[in-house]
Amino acid sequence: MKKSILIKINGTERHADVEPRTTLLEMVREQFNLTGAKLGCDIQVCGACTLLLDGKPVSACSVLAVDTDGCEVLTIEGLGQNNALHPLQEAFMEFGALQCGYCTSGFILTAKALLDEVPQPTDEQIRDYLAGNFCRCGCYQEIMQAIRNVTKTS
Amino acid sequence: MRNFDYLEPVTVAEACALLKQHAGEAKVFAGGSHLTILMKQGLYQPKTLINIKKISQLRGIEYDNAEGLIIGALVTHREIETSALVREKFPVLSEAEREVANIRVRNMGTVGGNLASGEPLTDLSQIFISLDGKAKISGPGGQRTIPVEELFVDFYTTSLAEDEILTHVVLPPLPPRSGIEYIRFSSSSVVDKPSAGVAVRLTLDGGAKTIQAARIVLGCVGATPVRARKAEALMSGKKLTAELAEEAGSIAAQECSPTSDLRGSEQYKRAIVRILVKRAAVKAYERATST
Amino acid sequence: MELADIGKTFRRLDYESKVTGRAQYLADMSVPGMCHGKILRSPLPHARIKHIDTARALKIPGVLAVITRDDILQDEGIEPYYGPVFKDQTIVAVEKVRHVGDPVAAVAALEADAAEEALRLIDVEYEELPAVLDVHQALKPGGTLVHESVRIPESGFADLAELKPIEGTNICTHFKLNRGDIQKGFAESDHIFEDTFTLPATQHSFLETHACIASVEPGGRITVWATTQNPFVVRTQLANIFKVPVSKVRVIVPYLGGGYGGKVYPKVEPITVALAQKTGRPVRVVLSREEVFYTITKHAAVIRMKTGVTKDGTLMARECEIHLDTGAYAEIGPRVAKKSGYTAAGPYKIPNLKIDSYSVYTNKPPAGAFRGFGVSQSAWAVESQMDIIAAALKIDPLELRRQNGYNEGDKFVTEETLRAVGLKECLNEVARSIGWEKKERQRDKEIGRQGEAAVRRGKGLACMIKATITPSVSCAVMKLNEDASLSIYAGTVEMGQGSETVLAQIAGKELGISLQAIQVLGVDTDVVPYDLTTSSSRSTFHMGKAVQLAAQDILNQLKQIVVKEYGVPEDRVTFAGGKIRLPETQLDYAEVMFKRFGMQGGTLVGDGQVKTLVKDEFGEKSTSAFWFLAAGAAEVEVDPDTGKFKLIKYATAVDVGKALNPLGCRQQLAGAAITGFGQAMFEEIAYDNGQLINPNLVDYVLPSLGDMPPVIDPICVEVPDRNGPFGAKGIGESALIPVAPAIANAIYDAVGVRIKDLPIKAEKIYLALEDQKGKP
Repeated sequence: MKKSILIKINGTERHADVEPRTTLLEMVREQFNLTGAKLGCDIQVCGACTLLLDGKPVSACSVLAVDTDGCEVLTIEGLGQNNALHPLQEAFMEFGALQCGYCTSGFILTAKALLDEVPQPTDEQIRDYLAGNFCRCGCYQEIMQAIRNVTKTS
Repeated sequence: MRNFDYLEPVTVAEACALLKQHAGEAKVFAGGSHLTILMKQGLYQPKTLINIKKISQLRGIEYDNAEGLIIGALVTHREIETSALVREKFPVLSEAEREVANIRVRNMGTVGGNLASGEPLTDLSQIFISLDGKAKISGPGGQRTIPVEELFVDFYTTSLAEDEILTHVVLPPLPPRSGIEYIRFSSSSVVDKPSAGVAVRLTLDGGAKTIQAARIVLGCVGATPVRARKAEALMSGKKLTAELAEEAGSIAAQECSPTSDLRGSEQYKRAIVRILVKRAAVKAYERATST
Repeated sequence: MELADIGKTFRRLDYESKVTGRAQYLADMSVPGMCHGKILRSPLPHARIKHIDTARALKIPGVLAVITRDDILQDEGIEPYYGPVFKDQTIVAVEKVRHVGDPVAAVAALEADAAEEALRLIDVEYEELPAVLDVHQALKPGGTLVHESVRIPESGFADLAELKPIEGTNICTHFKLNRGDIQKGFAESDHIFEDTFTLPATQHSFLETHACIASVEPGGRITVWATTQNPFVVRTQLANIFKVPVSKVRVIVPYLGGGYGGKVYPKVEPITVALAQKTGRPVRVVLSREEVFYTITKHAAVIRMKTGVTKDGTLMARECEIHLDTGAYAEIGPRVAKKSGYTAAGPYKIPNLKIDSYSVYTNKPPAGAFRGFGVSQSAWAVESQMDIIAAALKIDPLELRRQNGYNEGDKFVTEETLRAVGLKECLNEVARSIGWEKKERQRDKEIGRQGEAAVRRGKGLACMIKATITPSVSCAVMKLNEDASLSIYAGTVEMGQGSETVLAQIAGKELGISLQAIQVLGVDTDVVPYDLTTSSSRSTFHMGKAVQLAAQDILNQLKQIVVKEYGVPEDRVTFAGGKIRLPETQLDYAEVMFKRFGMQGGTLVGDGQVKTLVKDEFGEKSTSAFWFLAAGAAEVEVDPDTGKFKLIKYATAVDVGKALNPLGCRQQLAGAAITGFGQAMFEEIAYDNGQLINPNLVDYVLPSLGDMPPVIDPICVEVPDRNGPFGAKGIGESALIPVAPAIANAIYDAVGVRIKDLPIKAEKIYLALEDQKGKP
């Protein structure tokens, strides 16, 4: 039995009909065609499916879409404004903080949530916040550099 | 996941009534960290989930001078981690929450869900038990309060009846001249589940440096968290020395039943318990003597 | 606008689409009319299939087709048996299942849920057979056979021609290398060391799982979108399986979310095509994380190494047996066995060798290519034993390697001359970075039983040599458009290594144009010319060179036009900064093209072909078109009470020939090292009677940001190769290989225990330390 929900995605109110079992990730990817968030492990470990739910990073693969009724969701596609990229997106490119790119949306959104909460994080705080996002290509050092660079210049 | 009905009560009474009505076919659903995994693997296929996230009574962290810290079952790990009140009253809890899973799980996972899952590889229950924490439970018949220790029965099995909901965790005020330390040990990555987690709380005797009460709680090394009561008794009435800490560790290591698995052999886990108890006792004593 | 260049970091061409989430990967794609495929897999490690009943499954609403062995065997248009080396695989199991997870049937349905539901309703009756659980069991004479017989194709890879399975055994391949006189070598040695080293099966764990969309048109035209690193090999295999000419098969490859060797050779493509054929509509199959564990792994190995040395540390003789657990299907296991065998001598001059390298069938998921390709296994043994020898002879481990290591012009174990050998430079760089000369020996301090022992630090290093697949072929084509912009057609797959950008840099440098004017087209076998594979760290060298040649071809064509149209002698025409320089003037490319075609329109097509052969230009045997040399050094801190350790620093130096994109090189080096950390410290696939215990990312533990040392120092060493584009060689795999032995050597330095089994877990160190305490 489907439920009707109202959700604000990337600043725009959208309506969706979802079954209780539909995950936030499935809804965003399949109903709204926002495929930046990826399915990696389906079990909340890898972080490839990270979305910001009311500003907080969550594993979209394990959040029920029905539970997001009335919430705000930010996806990677909603980052950046007026054809300008977000400073994190620029920094990731500048410092080579990505290789295959599969983990990138998750990392950038999580880093944004961190900087919104803690504008000048220490290295330890960056590591603690991002330790749950995996990069198998191994860009961890470059990712740290990119985030440090954004905090330094902001 | 296969389809299910999703019911959304707004009061505890309503939720318990629904659980009773759908007995055998329904489960409480909060953060979903535990249940979604079971459902995706096909290990659990509920007909109905009872979403309790709309019950506002289950939210919030308060402090009462008599009762202590009252944590609503829907409070998330992240809320505990970042709460100024928790940091003030029980900083060991804030510290421990920093290392639970990852930021995403901490944003959704609740303390109630953590306890009610009966998951053996966790951290909170050890700390709660060392603080003589209590669990408040509501059912169709009314409310009851039990020590957190009595919540755990077996692997993934609690003493909650099918139509009961854990509503709050209450941590009594820390007795004066107390110190507490929690150490978790990972056999691999820092973000891996713990292989062992030990909480030690020592309360000293008035102005002296002797131990009046000890709580040594061993987690992840058995079907449930256990108090190492023999080791606790050994410490009672004594000042802590390096030798006593070592001995307590050795005794505690025999008071658990670890399983040999990917995160360590039984022998190794006992060795780790021994070391963690020793180290935690030394630190807890240091904290207690400096109050 | 800045001109393209090499030896300089340019922002990668794929970055903008990836940081904005616009980049399309396979699971993001759909085609009109597409339905969904799911695979039913064996729950048993070894069993005969007695009966399959699909009646209940077919009744599920939305189910369009079910494929079983009947479809494979009864369809004359399908050749059931395939495989990169031996034809021991089938689209779904035919007589028996050979590992847990072996595909038994497949379903296509309108909705993915319906397909899942249908899987549950396919009834399979199995007759369980004894399972061959490990190499030891597999080699017992008269034991159960995983394959009763193995089909060998008439023609296959040139470099594997001599490797055949041994009838009546579970030996898939036996590679032998003999050199000199092994008995004499040992007789002339003052000391002999014999050790056995082991390592478990591990998984590539790319974040993007295998996926495929296939469409078969009436008339037999097959189109697949595939997560594959070698589209041309997949094209050939599909053409063979479905009995159509290669021109009828089109393989399109989007960006991959990681490959690391786990996406080479057919994986889910054949089964997806079979479903597409049967349903008459496009089908998409996307594997779950768990299914990836059943699809491909890295070989577990047992390596017995016996080495003879003189008392001054000269290596005299080595006898080595390597047993690689290749799982249920050969895959590319034979080549892995060969490469492992070749590198069992390490990067050292050893005159007497007897090496036997086996790949052995067991009833486990198939093992195949993994970043490092057999050398990770051999190097674990070689580099660990080097330090065992160093300790016994009281020689510094760095000096021992310098003493025996290859120099320019030395002969490899195959008697061929090694050229462009940056081994010593790599060793020197990592030694410098880790502060080797300053290290203190703390091991002499006694570890007391009482109280807390202080944490101990140690340093260790390791080095390696590796080959690249030879012979091989790479072709590139490019179009100079009428406005002098460039389109490059190359079959190299962009899987994160930055190949797109490096190829554009090479072409841009040759032609003197900017990167902005260059478009590297997507990989589509209908369009791009042949490339063997994106693996073996070969693309910079082979495809880079092909691109360079194609660009030079265009320059030559421009020159000929100028000679003809402007009457200038050929030797007076030069190129610089994107312009054509003549004695009196200079011309733009666009002008010259206008002249050639009489209008603003027209195309110049450049063609570049690179082939490497079994003999090089000096007439010598060529096992490898160029060589990879690398070194790594680790500093660790060990808690002697628990055995737990952490990384303080890791330095990795790779001889890349020429760093065409320096940031890209450093990314690859650091990235490979990080995967190396995981392989060394955490990762292992655990089995219980053939069942996988941890086919998920909770219990199969990957290295996280939190596990990183504060500093990883990636160092590009440049000893140019005469044949590489601008001297460049290869990068991707080298930095991974020395990691595990460097860490094990550092732990020995810190606390004096030698771990010979991967991963290096705290418990193993703890037990070794306990053991050490017990000794007088």
